[in-house]
Amino acid sequence: MAATAKWQRWVPAVAVPAVVAVVVTGGAFAAGASADLPEKTAQQVLELAAQADVQTFSGTVEQTADLGLPDLSSVPGGSSSGASGGSSDGSGSGDASTDSTVSAALELLTGSHSARVYADGPTKARVQVLDQLAERDAIRNGSELWLYDSSDNTVVHSSIPADAGSGDGDGAGAPEASGTVQTPAELAQGFLDAVDPSTDVSLGADTEVAGRSAYDLVLTPRGSETLVGSVSIAVDSETGLPLSVEVLARGASTPAFSVAFSSLSLDTPSADLFDFTPPEGAAVTEKALPTDAGDGSGDHAAAPQGADAHPEPVVTGEGWNTIVALPVGADSADLTSSPLIAQLLTPVDGGQVLQTALVSVLLTDDGRVLAGAVPAEALQSAAAGQ
Amino acid sequence: MSLSETTPRAQGDLEQRRARRSVGFGFFLSELGLLFRRRRTWAMLGALAAVPILIAVAIRLTDGGDGRGPAFLDRITQNGLFVAMTALVVSIPLFLPLTVGVVAGDSIAGEASASTLRYLLVAPVGRIRLLLVKFAAAAVFCLAATVTVSLAGILIGVALFPVGPVTLLSGDTVSVAESLGRSLLIAVYVTVGLLGLSAIGLFISTLTDAPVGAMAATVVLSIVAQVLGQLSQTEWLHPWLFSYHWLDFADLLRQPIEWSSFGENALLQLAYVAVFGALAYARFSTKDILS
Repeated sequence: MAATAKWQRWVPAVAVPAVVAVVVTGGAFAAGASADLPEKTAQQVLELAAQADVQTFSGTVEQTADLGLPDLSSVPGGSSSGASGGSSDGSGSGDASTDSTVSAALELLTGSHSARVYADGPTKARVQVLDQLAERDAIRNGSELWLYDSSDNTVVHSSIPADAGSGDGDGAGAPEASGTVQTPAELAQGFLDAVDPSTDVSLGADTEVAGRSAYDLVLTPRGSETLVGSVSIAVDSETGLPLSVEVLARGASTPAFSVAFSSLSLDTPSADLFDFTPPEGAAVTEKALPTDAGDGSGDHAAAPQGADAHPEPVVTGEGWNTIVALPVGADSADLTSSPLIAQLLTPVDGGQVLQTALVSVLLTDDGRVLAGAVPAEALQSAAAGQ
Repeated sequence: MSLSETTPRAQGDLEQRRARRSVGFGFFLSELGLLFRRRRTWAMLGALAAVPILIAVAIRLTDGGDGRGPAFLDRITQNGLFVAMTALVVSIPLFLPLTVGVVAGDSIAGEASASTLRYLLVAPVGRIRLLLVKFAAAAVFCLAATVTVSLAGILIGVALFPVGPVTLLSGDTVSVAESLGRSLLIAVYVTVGLLGLSAIGLFISTLTDAPVGAMAATVVLSIVAQVLGQLSQTEWLHPWLFSYHWLDFADLLRQPIEWSSFGENALLQLAYVAVFGALAYARFSTKDILS
């Protein structure tokens, strides 16, 4: 022992960190390794994705958003735990509840979230948003829809009309509710449905997502007006199920928004996952669903509705440059009076703008909301033109 | 830190320890005996046990809260088993790292300052085994500390509040027996999470002959790591901080259990133990032992 030179005893101290570094970076490279898949054209991959019929799966979804919004976890009432504090100490006034709903929705658009998703056929699904020391659950079992929030121990129960929900065929039958994370499949479907001549469809290098080999479908808007640079969708080579979606802003090299499975199993999830009984001591609220918005797809255009229901939106432009205008009237004052929203808005000519890396929202002074994946100036000129 | 017990008794212990050292496992047992015979160790465990007791008594006296406070606090009045969870949430940022820092920081530097280190190392086999035994003892203390918080929380919860099936974070309900099993798992999780800090403390302890300095440095590092973990400017660094997974023990309270954080936590702590173990070996084996 004594003969060993002093410097030799430092060898492990140098070698071990080096080995750890190699293992860490090696793991990162292995994850990005490309798979060797049969050649396919972009069109064939589009068809593969369109034919995807995965009804039964369980997996973990990671969502990362870098939209340029401020980190809301530092804003009072912004984080999920803060939101619960806000709703429980407020004496149930309308403002407080609007604020916490809005902040919960916005909170999902900032930072990183992970969620576990279970689906068994179109009418059984469960989404668990995994927060630190808390969880938000949405469970659909047949016609029953449950929302559970562990931070304030509240349950919302709704019944879905028997005929609703048969429309979501593609395994994306997850209960859609404000405050849950979308699966890559749901998000990708929106983009794939919108593929039209204004979109250039190409294939990137084959990739691997959640341990499954996948084709990388890249959608690039042809026009130069939109804020979206490109959308890249990893399509599972076996089933056609979209495994990840990355949206890049124009000129950006890292995704502004990405949703990806970090693990995926196509086995049937255990049946008791979909059995939900409100826990003892939880506050249960019954909530009737709007009769025709049961699937929550946001497609309000087809709805003939009463005066107090959602007004019909005005759609201008096409493809990626689409601008949706919605007269909201008094609601807009409600929105801007919330300190959380006010903090995000920048006053411009004729209203106030919420600017993110991918989407702009303009609240005009005359009570309209215009939104689109275009720069704020385009919204302003659209607002002036109507 | 070297209270009255060290100098006179240390000599007697030393005789025993040198006799048992050849056995290896015996050396470890005698080290544990030394650790758990110290009044300081019991004082720290007592302080940790006081955390859930204070929480439970305060909740009992004030009849619940207003929804503020650490996670799980508002569940306690419905189910006493949540006292243990709340106490862990409260203890993890400061109290547990503090006590672990004291034990790990004292491990080598304490022997040095009590002038027992050179006697321990007279035999030709020594320094690696001494480091291993010191680390193992610190790991046992991590487990003892965590179990103390959990157990005291469960006992005081049972004493003061109704106990029944436990509602998990997912809204599902599990039996009391399963929830006790999960509490045990959580204790294991938190213990594993503290191993990285123990290794850092052991390394710092080889740098100095002043145990107080090593303890303070270890505790300060654990606080620095948590402060860095709060800043959004250092987000790229977060997954590499040893405190990153500390509060993820809640993943064991989901249905089904989310095991990924358990594995990630174990890997992260293993990396810290490997790196700082190697550094501690390098420093300690080249050190001139003068005291």
